[in-house]
Amino acid sequence: MKLLTDIQLTASIALTHMRTRLKQTVIATIGVTFGITMFVFMVSFIQGSNDFVKAVAFEQSPHLRLYNEVQTTPGTILDKVQTHAVNIVDHVKPKDVLLSLKDGKQIVQMLQQDHRIRAVSGAVNAQVFYRMGSSAINGIINGIEFEAENSLFNLQAKLVDGSFHELSTMPNSLVMGIGLAKRLNVKTGDRFALTTEKGNSFYVTVVGIFKTGMTDIDKQQSYASLNTVQRFLGVPAAYITDIKIKLHDMELAPALSKELQTKYGFQGSDWKQDNSAILEGDALRKMIVYSVAITILLVAGFGIFNILTMMIYEKMKDIAILKAMGFSDADIRWIFLIQALIIGIIGALLGLLFGFLCAYGISKMPYKSDVMITLDHLPVSFNAVYYTTGFSFGILTTALAGYLPSRKAAHVDPITILRG
Amino acid sequence: MNLISVKHVNKYFLQPAKMQVLNDVSFEIEKGKFVAITGKSGSGKSTLLYLLSTMDTAFEGSIRINQEEMQGKSNPWLADFRNHHIGFVFQFHYLLPEFSVLKNVMLPALKLRRYSSSEIEHRANELLKLLGVADQAHKRASLLSGGQQQRVAIARALINEPLIIMGDEPTGNLDSHNAAVVFDLFKKLSAENGQTILMVTHDEDIAKRSDRTIHLTDGKIDEVHLG
Repeated sequence: MKLLTDIQLTASIALTHMRTRLKQTVIATIGVTFGITMFVFMVSFIQGSNDFVKAVAFEQSPHLRLYNEVQTTPGTILDKVQTHAVNIVDHVKPKDVLLSLKDGKQIVQMLQQDHRIRAVSGAVNAQVFYRMGSSAINGIINGIEFEAENSLFNLQAKLVDGSFHELSTMPNSLVMGIGLAKRLNVKTGDRFALTTEKGNSFYVTVVGIFKTGMTDIDKQQSYASLNTVQRFLGVPAAYITDIKIKLHDMELAPALSKELQTKYGFQGSDWKQDNSAILEGDALRKMIVYSVAITILLVAGFGIFNILTMMIYEKMKDIAILKAMGFSDADIRWIFLIQALIIGIIGALLGLLFGFLCAYGISKMPYKSDVMITLDHLPVSFNAVYYTTGFSFGILTTALAGYLPSRKAAHVDPITILRG
Repeated sequence: MNLISVKHVNKYFLQPAKMQVLNDVSFEIEKGKFVAITGKSGSGKSTLLYLLSTMDTAFEGSIRINQEEMQGKSNPWLADFRNHHIGFVFQFHYLLPEFSVLKNVMLPALKLRRYSSSEIEHRANELLKLLGVADQAHKRASLLSGGQQQRVAIARALINEPLIIMGDEPTGNLDSHNAAVVFDLFKKLSAENGQTILMVTHDEDIAKRSDRTIHLTDGKIDEVHLG
């Protein structure tokens, strides 16, 4: 009870001090507000653009991919025959593996039952030459089942011309990337020739053009129906080379990847491996934001430190009188600490508000993206975490900035001052 | 019964060089007396007062006030003790300039919390009336004249009904008329309320009219006059 009234009394003294120094107090508060505003705004904006870049990249890449790959066999046949000898075999050639996934279609069906998996699609990837006139361009053709692939990658949203539905109804039709179409100078409805690795040529019709924003994909890839590509390659209907999977919780991908690789004996990779550069950049940008924000807050903290230190020099006499009246060292410390905390709390709350307003304002700014067709405003991320972090940062710096001068005030020796 | 009991007190200043300020000082003061502490500049009289004020804790020997030993007590305990039992009046009036006159008087009582806020305000107003500065109650303390400020400071010293009122030359900065008013007030308080007054002074006149004078020479008690 006594403690409560003591704090009330010290708070009322602190408020009187601040009222008589309104201008300095307001400037100190603005310092904190500015720091927190910048923090919230920058984190929101940078995180928003990070999320945007990630969304563009990840939408085109599955969380998890299973495939077969040509690779050198580990160990040699000699090791099996002469188990206790040291066997040296030079120039081991890579084994010619069948790129098709064994029982791929059945595995796709089994994976569809797995509750961790949101969508799964089996596809055939093949290297081809696109021929137009005398030129031949190297590229990749994806044989897909449109429904399954669309549920993974939202292909429909990336279509800029034509349609995907004709893939299944029209023989030898394909939808190609916008970059590729430009290089070949073809548009929807045009026909051109396509040659497979084995040397078989086919005439195909362009029924649509898509744009993902990833140059590599747009300049090389085209989609055709699964059957069409299988026919081009001269393989049976059970032949698929890729199983692409999206999960409900993408963080599970590395673990599930391992599990499926051992279970089925395929190669596998997950989104973390595939996009390590993007993820690294993400972390670095976040570090930059945090260090800039901490710098701003430190400057604001020095402002508070200065103002309180100056005030304490001015208030030496008052401190001595208060001590003579019966205020303890701790009471005096609270008087100044409370001032710092009030500046901190008000500054931080205003900072959150202005930070939100800035972020909201910029999220309404029209922004045309060449890459993401669905985006028409600047990307901004609104996440309560930034606001709580900003608030705690603000309180922490002001408490620190207030603590040192208030400790000094508590240690003022009243006698030297009262004796004059 | 002795209110203040000082036994074999030694006090040293360490800066700039070690120097003994008080040398084996012992005396006792009864309750309700008006005591003057006199001596030349540098004789240690203010030092003695501040030891008795409990604000200076670095000394050898024993100081007992109201049966409590002051040696070795913690800062919060001493602060609370001052708040309860000691009222101060300084030479330079030392009001808190940003607060109103009324708030200045109320602060020690608000700290003590013996009464409710409204009761404290009522008592503060009564004291200001007693000291003839009631009409200034809502002004900022810094706007008052020297004599008025000193009266407010006395009201502040009285608000918690302390056992002891200490003054460090409380009349030293006042003209003779105001000095006489303040002195009479102290005299009246000790006579009527039984409060002990302890005052450091240069003023021979005041010293003569006190109940008792403690005279210090070079840190030693020279003579104790009984009035």
